[in-house]
Amino acid sequence: MSDYQVLNTRAPRVDGPAKATGQAKYTDDFKIPGMLYASILQSPVAHARILHIDASKARKLTGVKAVVTAREAGLIKYGVSPARYDETLFAHDKVRYVGDEIAAVAASDQDIAQEALSLIKVDYEELPAVFDMFEAMKEGAPQIHDEFPGNMNAEVHQEFGDTEAALRSCDLVVDHTFINKRQDAAFIEPHSCLAVFDHSGRLTLYTSTQVPHYVMRTVAMTLQIPVGNVRVIKPYVGGGFGPKCEATPLEMSCGLLSKVTGQPVKMTYSREQVFLHSRARHQFYAEMSLGVMKDGTMVALKNKAVLDGGAYTSFGIATVYYSGSLLGGPYKLKTMKYDGYRVYTNKPACGAQRGHGGVAHRACFEQLIDMTAEKLGIDPIDMRLKNIMTTGDITVNELDMSSLGMKECIEAIRSGSDWNNKKGKLPKGKGIGMACGFFVSGAGYPIYRSDTYHSTVVIKLSEDGGVANVMTGSAEIGQGSDTTMAMIAAETLGIKLKDVQVHSGDTDYSVDLGAYSSRQTLMTGHATKEAAEQVKSQIASHLSEELNVPVSSITFADGIVKFDGGPGNFEKLRSSYIKEHRGWMDPPTGEYLTFREAARMAYLKAGTIVGTGKYKPPRLGGSYKGAAVGTSPAYGCSAQIVEVTVDLETGQITIDRMTDAHDCGLAINRTSVEGQMQGSLSMGLGECLFEEVKFDSRGRVLNPSLGEYKIPTALDMPKVKSIIVESSEPNGPYGAKEVGEGAIMPTIPAILNAIYDATGVRVNELPATSERLFMALKDKSEAV
Amino acid sequence: MLLPKFDYHEPATLEDALRLLSEMGGNARIVAGGTDLLVRMKLKVEKPSHLISLRKIPRINVIIQRENHGVSIGAAVTAGELSTNELIMERFTPIGLAAARLGAPGIRNRATIGGNLVNARPAADLSPACMVLNASLKLKRSKNEREVPVNDFFRGPGETLIEPNEMLVSIFVETPPPWSGGAYIKLGSRKTLEISMVNVAVLLTLQSQNGPIVDAKIALGAVAPTPVRAFAAEEFLIGRQPSAKLFSEAGAIGVGMCEPITDHRGTMEYRCLMIETLTSRALNQAYQDAMTWKPLPV
Amino acid sequence: MKRIIKLTINGKTIEAAVSSNQTLLQFLREDMDLTGTKHGCGLGDCGACTVILDGKAVNSCLVLAVQADGSEILTIEGLAEDGKLHPLQQAFVDKGAIQCGFCTPGMILSAKALLDEKPNPSELEIRTAISGNLCRCTGYQKIVEAIGEAAEVVRMREES
Ligand SMILES: Cc1cc2nc3c(=O)[nH]c(=O)nc-3n(C[C@H](O)[C@H](O)[C@H](O)COP(=O)(O)OP(=O)(O)OC[C@H]3O[C@@H](n4cnc5c(N)ncnc54)[C@H](O)[C@@H]3O)c2cc1C
Ligand code: FES
Ligand code: FES
Repeated sequence: MSDYQVLNTRAPRVDGPAKATGQAKYTDDFKIPGMLYASILQSPVAHARILHIDASKARKLTGVKAVVTAREAGLIKYGVSPARYDETLFAHDKVRYVGDEIAAVAASDQDIAQEALSLIKVDYEELPAVFDMFEAMKEGAPQIHDEFPGNMNAEVHQEFGDTEAALRSCDLVVDHTFINKRQDAAFIEPHSCLAVFDHSGRLTLYTSTQVPHYVMRTVAMTLQIPVGNVRVIKPYVGGGFGPKCEATPLEMSCGLLSKVTGQPVKMTYSREQVFLHSRARHQFYAEMSLGVMKDGTMVALKNKAVLDGGAYTSFGIATVYYSGSLLGGPYKLKTMKYDGYRVYTNKPACGAQRGHGGVAHRACFEQLIDMTAEKLGIDPIDMRLKNIMTTGDITVNELDMSSLGMKECIEAIRSGSDWNNKKGKLPKGKGIGMACGFFVSGAGYPIYRSDTYHSTVVIKLSEDGGVANVMTGSAEIGQGSDTTMAMIAAETLGIKLKDVQVHSGDTDYSVDLGAYSSRQTLMTGHATKEAAEQVKSQIASHLSEELNVPVSSITFADGIVKFDGGPGNFEKLRSSYIKEHRGWMDPPTGEYLTFREAARMAYLKAGTIVGTGKYKPPRLGGSYKGAAVGTSPAYGCSAQIVEVTVDLETGQITIDRMTDAHDCGLAINRTSVEGQMQGSLSMGLGECLFEEVKFDSRGRVLNPSLGEYKIPTALDMPKVKSIIVESSEPNGPYGAKEVGEGAIMPTIPAILNAIYDATGVRVNELPATSERLFMALKDKSEAV
Repeated sequence: MLLPKFDYHEPATLEDALRLLSEMGGNARIVAGGTDLLVRMKLKVEKPSHLISLRKIPRINVIIQRENHGVSIGAAVTAGELSTNELIMERFTPIGLAAARLGAPGIRNRATIGGNLVNARPAADLSPACMVLNASLKLKRSKNEREVPVNDFFRGPGETLIEPNEMLVSIFVETPPPWSGGAYIKLGSRKTLEISMVNVAVLLTLQSQNGPIVDAKIALGAVAPTPVRAFAAEEFLIGRQPSAKLFSEAGAIGVGMCEPITDHRGTMEYRCLMIETLTSRALNQAYQDAMTWKPLPV
Repeated sequence: MKRIIKLTINGKTIEAAVSSNQTLLQFLREDMDLTGTKHGCGLGDCGACTVILDGKAVNSCLVLAVQADGSEILTIEGLAEDGKLHPLQQAFVDKGAIQCGFCTPGMILSAKALLDEKPNPSELEIRTAISGNLCRCTGYQKIVEAIGEAAEVVRMREES
């Protein structure tokens, strides 16, 4: 297919064997002599003034090594975006949700740590609380943060063109409202951290995170340790999906407790604490109007969002921007207006989750397109194709679609699912639906304002020349980034994949902003490629000198070096290599010079061969307020078709088949791309049909378990047909771009459109439970 | 998640177990599969100071066929065992089907029928199945034993007739007459790992392959504080000729027996409507099963 | 109160003192350093802690260590033989059935218990066998494929 040796194949993951045998170490698997166990005291009430904290009894308990509260931790404010630092490690004046952190304990074992928590006495003066975002916006609602009157955490108002006028000029305007429910990312590995503060004043955190870099900065800031003295190491991580994208109280508490006790400190959240910490998908309310012409041409989109943010900001500023900006494509619009509001409530804070900010609004919009198409009598696919953007188009909000295989995706699923023979021809109770979506391939700007590189990578060859060590701060969290970087390095160096070793997830290795906004393949990939090119050119120039051949005649591929396409004359290199390595079991053989010999020769001339690469995107996007959010060097896109069966007597929904096409640019690893696509679909299916974090009337999570918070099981997932569409992305390394998040965009609306096709009922509130659908069916039949 | 501290006992005989139970009374709990008890202990809902294990007690985990007239199921027989036992599936179908829907494989390999019944959750899978089969429970204590019909056993959520010093040792079920068929339907949101929103067990007996209904038993779970029998619907069916219409009428009558609640899994209204639909469906399935009744190969 | 238990783990007989309130999962991870068995919830909901106990897949977070006395246990660490991956492990690696890997040990052991009983499972039987093992990353498809492929490899191996 392609000319690549390594890229675009189905190479097995580099970490596969370690994970398949149980050797792969995750944070909670670590144990160090002298290690203490920590635990966090969390508020049992949703909104209260803290009158007094008495930890004296806990401190006296045998086995307790330290108890820390706001008094010890200080009141340094932190958060994700410096514009909204609204959290302190421990609550001091007020608690704002059930789960707000008050104190942490380190003890010699877990039992004692737990017991100590129960001995800490906190006097609260309960305050009225508010749990509903619309209630929170009302006058007279309880105020959660003094600095943010009306509980208004963030407001966005953007308009491109005169939307009202455009809507008036349209032949048809269709409205739709939609509401999703708060989600939990439900990664299977709960957060865990092991902190080691050593005698030289250096803090090392082993932690289950997506973003070692940001954790390092935040922990250094809040614990007042020079940032160079904080090292964050990310062992294997059991999934993140967004909520592990920021420093947690768990990490800061472990760090602080280790600093205070001088001993290593470990803490792992219980599943319930994962729910309380949250930082997962917001609840979004979407209200939209789409204006079109008779022939189906889309003209204007008006979009309003209200987000239930919970008690703190977390990623929320970006989230509320994304809900608007991510509707700019993949359809051509002439005008677009967006009003977004993120509201504080007395619940755990929401943050980023796969498809950040875009998923619910995409679901609303793609339903709206189907509704409009129906009114116009146009096939939903034709309606989309009529308005589709192609490579080179720029959205109304100035996002540059530097490559876009959207049309190809739609055509692939249309034939892949046999849409033409099914749409409109299925029996009652069976339905077919489709939807599209797109997503950034790396945020255009870091979270804090800075000119920093988004990624740097170091490649260092082993002294024998046999192994290329790729050193990066990027985060392998299951998505396969280590394998991707290994493949890019191998391809670029012209060596075999097995001869690359990736060392990742360590802030001491390099700078990398981490695994969020689907950025690593593109950004870390670029830096890896550049580092490899540097290494290669060093070797080439030493070879050229040594063998007296021009650099331009030297090529590297598959572990072999060729000179003008032939073996050249390298005998003296081989014999000296073999002499140097007498007794070794694997002397270089064959008619060509090996990379290993060439690299060894370079080492002998120049010392350790090191190459470095770096990447930061060029200045992107418009100059309006908030223009940065949504910008990216590239955009991935996808289209899906879902087929469902609805049991009309119970409302139960069975997803029979899903056909999914995604444009990821060059698929670095075809198996991993499909894996991301299929994983996205299952998360989307869960959010659509089952998932909802529920609260009681006092703000306590009703279902903080994987039994009651329902993610799809193997029996809920249908067979998925995954079709990879490969455009060539000019801004991506080897033309590659994202797949990790974009693939979730169409899932919910495709399911909902299929349900409508099966039943004639529009579900505008998630999750689409059997009860919700059944009652809607009943209302509909009673109305007739 | 840590378990509170307790003492663990592993008596080797039933007598020893019963003696321990009577000595320790309310401070002790029997642990069978532990899939319910250990969860409740981790959540600090229960804090017994002694656990008495059934592991070593002989024959408490076996299914014994009693000639041809019935089967005795040891209290520690697991759901996994029940769901794969051919005799149970063939003759005591609702139990087999319900066992196959309990939790997931790993849970089924531990969860016992005794634990499920004594647990007495309104949504439990095996309770309604045992009820339509008129199972009788053998309860033992140190000095004596008694037999209690499962239909009288449940008193409320988590409450049964069992005394703290009593153990459920076995469940006896009489073989349903020829031309009997059974069904079990569970409604939840996922396809597995679900606590029922509504469940229905049915046993239907025909006079002959095409004959009228001579006996009907319907039990419903998750619709009241205990699983309940739909007596009115049962009576309505007896003596009539089976038909889809008859079954849907019976479903409507079934609703009358229930007082479901609204909770975060579902509303009262939806549950009532589903009782009707699922009862009629289960009757249809049981009818199909009854019509294909065959003598067991000897 | 500690009790002495004697059991076989991955073919090795072991005697150990355990507290009665220690779960089998804690015992394996903390006392035996067999950290391949994962803790995802502690309540039987996720299957990450699945091990094979006397031939059956169980959630080790809901088994007391004392209840494993006299039993035979297989954990993920005991599956590879002579440094060679078990066909299930190999198929998981080859087919892309692993992403974050946190569900993988439990998933593989549930699959192993299935293949031991049913060497030629249908897709539905495979899906049912792993229905108590939650995976948030893969959407299960490649896992189901891997188990199907491993089943074939195992069957061929037995035949030859
Ligand atoms: C993830 C998960 C999923 C589940 N799914 C379902 C489901 O789908 N449907 C369902 O019905 N249940 C479900 N359960 C609950 C539980 O598995 C069942 O109720 C199971 O049958 C309990 O049996 P056990 O042997 O594990 O009981 P244990 O936990 O050992 O005991 C439960 C209670 O019964 C008492 N007890 C047990 N045996 C005896 C006896 N012989 N005599 C007297 N008292 C006794 C114990 O003291 C304890 O109070 C689920 C549990 C989990 C963890
Ligand atoms: S940890 Fe045992 S099932 Fe989740
Ligand atoms: S691979 Fe991550 S949970 Fe399954």
